[in-house]
Amino acid sequence: MGEEIIKKSQVVVIGAGPAGLCAAIEARKAGATVLVLDENDRPGGQLFKQIHKFFGSGKHWAGLRGFRIGENLLKEAGQLGVKILLNAEVYGIFDDMTVGYIRNGVEKAIKGERIIIATGGIENALPFPGGTLPGVMGAGGVQTMVNIHRVLPGKKILMVGSGNVGVIVSYQLMQAGAEVVGIVEAAGRVRAYEVHLNKIKRAGVPIYTSHVVKEAIGKDEVEGAIIARVDDNLNIIEGSEKHLDVDCLCIAVGLNPQIELPYIAGCKFSYIPERGGYIPVFDENMETSVKGIYVAGDVAGIEEASIAMEEGRLAGIACAGSLGLYDKETEEKLKKEVKKILRAMRTKHDSRIIHSLTGIPSNDRFEKGPVAVIECKEEIPCNPCESACVFGAIKVGEPITNPPVLFEEKCTGCGRCIPKCPGMAIFLIHKNYTDKTSLIKFPYEYLPVPEKGGLVSCVNRNGEIISRGRIIDIKASKKDDGTKIIAMEIPKEYFNDVRGIQIRGDGI
Amino acid sequence: MRVNYHPILGKDERKKLVKIVVDGREMMAVKGEPIAAALLANGIRKLRKTRKKGEYRGVFCGIGRCTDCAMIVDEIPNIRTCITPVKEGMQIITQEGLGKWERK
Repeated sequence: MGEEIIKKSQVVVIGAGPAGLCAAIEARKAGATVLVLDENDRPGGQLFKQIHKFFGSGKHWAGLRGFRIGENLLKEAGQLGVKILLNAEVYGIFDDMTVGYIRNGVEKAIKGERIIIATGGIENALPFPGGTLPGVMGAGGVQTMVNIHRVLPGKKILMVGSGNVGVIVSYQLMQAGAEVVGIVEAAGRVRAYEVHLNKIKRAGVPIYTSHVVKEAIGKDEVEGAIIARVDDNLNIIEGSEKHLDVDCLCIAVGLNPQIELPYIAGCKFSYIPERGGYIPVFDENMETSVKGIYVAGDVAGIEEASIAMEEGRLAGIACAGSLGLYDKETEEKLKKEVKKILRAMRTKHDSRIIHSLTGIPSNDRFEKGPVAVIECKEEIPCNPCESACVFGAIKVGEPITNPPVLFEEKCTGCGRCIPKCPGMAIFLIHKNYTDKTSLIKFPYEYLPVPEKGGLVSCVNRNGEIISRGRIIDIKASKKDDGTKIIAMEIPKEYFNDVRGIQIRGDGI
Repeated sequence: MRVNYHPILGKDERKKLVKIVVDGREMMAVKGEPIAAALLANGIRKLRKTRKKGEYRGVFCGIGRCTDCAMIVDEIPNIRTCITPVKEGMQIITQEGLGKWERK
């Protein structure tokens, strides 16, 4: 660091992603001087490639798309006077709480009374023959290329891994115009939330559970893939091989925490496979074993971005408290609020728990007029549907992992809940639209948008074409942020089966 | 392939282009985009060859972590092309092994 005078900030945050920004905002709110360092040329971490609507509590931006949340966080940070230094690559943390970084080729340093490390995670690779060929990419890498830089890495894509990332990125690839040839999952069942999976199924994407990639084929880059079925011990069953015509493999097999900095800082570690491997040990304030150094977000264990934000808030509040910027009572009150949300978000998700279909109207109600059909029966930390209904016909309550309950007598059939559901799992059905037809309203986020009055191929929940339908109306409201509501007339016999339109081929 | 129209993100309004030179071949890139994105848009996925086996590698992580996308850029080897923005007249060369400093 030579003779340069080392600058100081009460709180130094490393990483301007969701966790780091939230931490900075909270610390700044309490009056701390805050500097955020980020190696990228734009802030927001991985939020700006998240173009889907987030789950979560309606009070905390749930139902907004990830990049909108990023915009909001940056706006809030800016208004509060949080300083963000970009293109600043942190290489080390020294014993005297000095953070060393390189910016534009020049070595610099800043001293923090508190340091919050929010460096996020790195995507896992997957070893298989051909796995290093150009055209094999991480799902996050694909998301960056498609949603931020607007280029597709291939036309026909095989997704490897059926967690939320794999399923969401599959959906986003189709939104960008690529074909997802299939999703391969070594486990016997899909790991993603059912509502995310259902979007993919409606699009007709084959799901290969108990399958692995045996090989990526191609001389110098990907020209195809061979998948194969596996037994319970994950051994390939001979003769089950299947060749898929693909030009890109997208690997979505989890992430691991980016722990170099807490390691350099001397933090104690623990091995927690479910959270991505070695992670720094931290207490209820997100403080590590090194006093004054905090962690938040994926570096503290791989979880959802919505959880990273809350962890960041917790670390920011705790830092401010320990600096004496809050009295004990205020600090505890603020932390309690965040911890309550964290608890709700972390309520164990178990897709094998099938709740009674509380969101489905009775047969009688279908006869009486248009009504919402909420096909959401898993424990998901999400409740925007509840506040979307001004008639009190949808109840989630506490904890927010409760599946929504429909009070069918209160439902007026207005359809306001449809675009608010991040899982795109709410439909409006008017069974007796005419003598012979029903009307279904459903959310739609693909191109091309069908023409009003046009005939389309209708699909069921598995993406199979089961009938023809006529587009009656298309609503595109600015506040729905890209989600269109399509009203479609279908033969009455299919009112309980049709859930969308064919998006590939010549269906539209 | 560029995603010119998108149901959520709308039309791609970026209009300013720059010219880059890849292994002696001129091509157009969108101003400010990373080199790797420009190459993908121009159908190029093979970015470097490994030192021992001479196998091709391309973009994997897209956020500057894995270093698989390293190329020789303006005479400097091992540049992470997924996080390095294109510039007018930039000279980009497929890297062999650890690459070499072209700058004399």
